Amino acid sequence: MRLLLAEDDHDLVAILKKDLEIAGYAVDLADNGVDAEYLGNEMIYDVAVLDLGLPQRNGIDVLRNWRTAGNHLPVIVLTARNAWHERVDGFKAGADDYLGKPFHVEELLARITALLHRTRQQPGGQLQAAGLSLDEEQQTVTTEDGQTHKLTGIEFRLLRYFLLNAGHVLSKSRLTEHVYDFDSEKDSNVIEVYVRRLRQLIGNDRIETRRGQGYVFVDNN
Amino acid sequence: MQSIQSKLSTGLLLSLIIAFSSLWILVSINVQFLAKEYIATRLEHDAKTLLNTITFDNNGVLTIDTTRIDLIYNQPFSGHYYLVSTDKQSISSRSLWDHKLNVTAVTTGQQSRALQQGPEQQSLLLISGGYNKQRNKLTITIAEDLNPINKNINQFKYWFAAMALGMLLILVIIQALILRKSLKPLTKVHAELKLLQQGQLNKLNTESPSELQPLINEVNHLLGIMEQRLRRSRDALSDLAHAIKKPLTVIKQITDKDAIPDATKTTLIKQTDDIYQISDHILKRARLAGHSHTGALFSFSDDLPALIKTLDMMYANKTLLLSTNVPENVICPVDREDMLELLGNLLDNAYKWATHKIMLAVNIDSELHICIEDDGPGTDLEKINELSKRGVRLDEKIQGHGFGLAITTDIVNDYNGSVSFEHSNDLGGFKAEITLPLYQL
Repeated sequence: MRLLLAEDDHDLVAILKKDLEIAGYAVDLADNGVDAEYLGNEMIYDVAVLDLGLPQRNGIDVLRNWRTAGNHLPVIVLTARNAWHERVDGFKAGADDYLGKPFHVEELLARITALLHRTRQQPGGQLQAAGLSLDEEQQTVTTEDGQTHKLTGIEFRLLRYFLLNAGHVLSKSRLTEHVYDFDSEKDSNVIEVYVRRLRQLIGNDRIETRRGQGYVFVDNN
Repeated sequence: MQSIQSKLSTGLLLSLIIAFSSLWILVSINVQFLAKEYIATRLEHDAKTLLNTITFDNNGVLTIDTTRIDLIYNQPFSGHYYLVSTDKQSISSRSLWDHKLNVTAVTTGQQSRALQQGPEQQSLLLISGGYNKQRNKLTITIAEDLNPINKNINQFKYWFAAMALGMLLILVIIQALILRKSLKPLTKVHAELKLLQQGQLNKLNTESPSELQPLINEVNHLLGIMEQRLRRSRDALSDLAHAIKKPLTVIKQITDKDAIPDATKTTLIKQTDDIYQISDHILKRARLAGHSHTGALFSFSDDLPALIKTLDMMYANKTLLLSTNVPENVICPVDREDMLELLGNLLDNAYKWATHKIMLAVNIDSELHICIEDDGPGTDLEKINELSKRGVRLDEKIQGHGFGLAITTDIVNDYNGSVSFEHSNDLGGFKAEITLPLYQL
């Protein structure tokens, strides 16, 4: 999952980025409103965490511009000004969720997960598809036979993306985009390696290869 | 206080009534007097003419040459009569027929006047004069019926009164029109003040007569200052909140890490939580606009659905049934931000604790009534109600409910309203009832 973190407090960003990455997100940063708006329009993000008090262009305007341009990127608004009228104005501008500062990282992570599930029409709780159950906190997968496997960071990111986009053909470059952030070394061949490893864990027929197109996670249920 | 228009109208009406009445009385008396004098003069002339027709013989017997007298004195009950009397005899006009005038002798050179009932209900004016002719003393009395002239005078009086009343009416109407026209700017200002209160205007129209101009300028000036102050203080408070919470957020993230010893961590968390909650509370309270009529006003048809949508999204994982009973298209003269804060905190509390159902009822008359109930577990009411008493320390937190309700209480106090937290009889959970007085022009 690729996440855009738009926040101008560098101390907070340093801590949050680390926590978000541990939780399996590829995180890109924007420390002002103009950059945030530009990046958000790149259409590669699954979710954005947007601070309302950004310099150069405030968060509400960024959000409003996204929405008027038809960009439906799920957005969690962060703000220190947590008066109710600001929350209402934030939701009116198109926010999907709201978190007042100060907050616990766990709360932010829980809200991001809930929002991602909600936007993919997934029920709450653990992510489940084709008999698999993904524990997003522990980053483990439980297969049909009841066995629980620990996943590495990239494996977890990849499997979560497959589960949230079950039935869709996902190209290697798209998978790369949603698993790695801007600063990572990108090699689409690595994706093949990780897909092979995932197949060993969850069964070969779960992820089909479409030649020249990419991969599809098959959910027969 | 009585309105200027009615004050001026009553004053004018009273003075006009007094003026016209005294004029009427004066004119009536004068006309009566003049008519009487005129008749009296004519009667005197008739007396002189009569005197000329009188002759005495050597025995002092009086004869009147009636051929030289006006025919009217011969016509019975014509209203014109005479009576000539000496010591020995008295001759009355033919017109008197058998009626007797009651006359006393007058000494020579004297004159007397009297009013007397005549024949056929006539009111007679009698003038008697004492004369001396051919060494004989005699009294000539001429009488005339006043009824015809009195009738005319009365007619005149009625006409005069009617005219005066008509004039009075016309003057009052004209004056009322003039008043209304000159008070129009005041009426306009009154209407504008109402719009201002409802938030449909943000300043008064500056085009007005010179008498009102300073007042309007001053009101606009004050409105400008208040709006500016409210905005400036709200911006400053917002910035301050931002400035305090940024470091607090970082500290909170750090305290979430395991690197810090547990004892230190607990203290640190407690202290930062205290800073956060107390500053949040104070900042929110300081932001309140109260009854200032400067900012935008809350709209039940616009802002409430947006607030409910916001809460629905915040509690997307909960399926709640919210039933609302809210008047539509009613202007609620309460600041938008204050009202959102008030309803937001109460509804947030209900959303947080409700299991299935929430009820929101709003009623506006001279006061604004809000009632929010949920079917949650409820809370320790005694502790919650402590909140509405002044002097309760901010940091005395109440488990579960707490800060949202404390802010609510502050807002209600700021608007001189009342708040009560009770057990909900209908839904079984928590019930908050709020009454805010509304100030109308």
